[in-house]
Amino acid sequence: MSSIIATVHNIQTVQNLNIVSFTCNESLLKMMSLDLEEQIQKGTKVLLTCKPTAIAIAKNFQGQLSYANQLHVSITNINVGELLSVLKLQFGEFVLESVITTDSQKRMQLQCGEEVIALIKSSDLSIKEVL
Amino acid sequence: MIEINVTKTLHGAEGVMPLHVKLNIQEGEFVALSGQSGSGKTTLLRILAGLEEAMGSIKVHKQVWLDAQYSLSVQKREIGFVFQDYALFENMTVEENLLFVTKDKPLAQHLLQITELDALKKRTPNSLSGGQKQRVSICRALMKRPKILLLDEPLSALDPAMRTKLQNELLSLHKEFGTTTIMVSHDPSEIYCLASRVIILQNGEVKNDGTPKEVLLKTQGSQKFSFEGELLDIKKVDVIYVAIVAIGQQLVEIVVSSQEAKNLKIGENVRLSTKAFAPAMTQI
Repeated sequence: MSSIIATVHNIQTVQNLNIVSFTCNESLLKMMSLDLEEQIQKGTKVLLTCKPTAIAIAKNFQGQLSYANQLHVSITNINVGELLSVLKLQFGEFVLESVITTDSQKRMQLQCGEEVIALIKSSDLSIKEVL
Repeated sequence: MIEINVTKTLHGAEGVMPLHVKLNIQEGEFVALSGQSGSGKTTLLRILAGLEEAMGSIKVHKQVWLDAQYSLSVQKREIGFVFQDYALFENMTVEENLLFVTKDKPLAQHLLQITELDALKKRTPNSLSGGQKQRVSICRALMKRPKILLLDEPLSALDPAMRTKLQNELLSLHKEFGTTTIMVSHDPSEIYCLASRVIILQNGEVKNDGTPKEVLLKTQGSQKFSFEGELLDIKKVDVIYVAIVAIGQQLVEIVVSSQEAKNLKIGENVRLSTKAFAPAMTQI
């Protein structure tokens, strides 16, 4: 599980549906959520988490994507399997993991040290704990 | 308003345990009482009914039922009590069981009609099914038009279809008679369907008190879809791992990365969680 420490920047609410935005390493992250715990307010520090299988990768990308979370990361390690590959991604002081198909890894010629964009849908990002 | 502030020393399987419960219950509320066995739920119902002595006070709509000097007798407490094991008079017919409480024939007839027992009123309990017997004991509990209806796991011995049917009947009777209902239950779906408030007892004290959603919705951080299970196995497949987890009567598989797998031990209890946005739902 990939984890990031972030600070709540804003909360938009309609009934019990919320879009929470966070700041971390000068990036803005967004999360969809149903009811929030009361202690989650502007300025609250939280540990965010996302399944490695829910993180996609973009390289040399031009155009528009609906992903609310587009993080500039660098690849620090690639474990290439027969079908799947696990990438370690450095995001400031945090390390994220991404599981993608080995076909994609080869097609994109992803290598250690490369700068890429980690893509996470706001519905795949969640708060693991309030710090 | 029902004001309860009672204390009693219980002698349970794990030694002496103090029961101390302080609660205010609004008139007309449907309260579910939950908690592990031995936590004091049944004892609390019995204290309310006057079947067990306790220290402290009970006030029902400003009338004193219990205080330091006084304890209102069981017969005078306006309570209906339904037990898990029906507790019917086997030598009396269904109708006689009801009329034994009060000789109010129109009310007995009305209750038997609502609960579809009218055709069975001349039968004795031993010729009835579990669901029918429990209907009779619910009807009997309402014959006194009680202020408080106490239900001690009334539906736990019944099959799921009968449970759902009786849940609906209980709810409509609760509304029609305007009783305050306190029901011991362990079934989250039953609690969610019937109760407006759930109280969890633990070791003789109130551990949690709120709406069923507040109390029963298991969350992990902001993740709303959460289950506890036992990790049975974890297998490496290519560069990822597949964990097998037993949840209730089912097995599920979860894909984890090597980093996640590192901290997991087979045999451990684990919590599986995901966002409310992730699961797909289809009819069975």
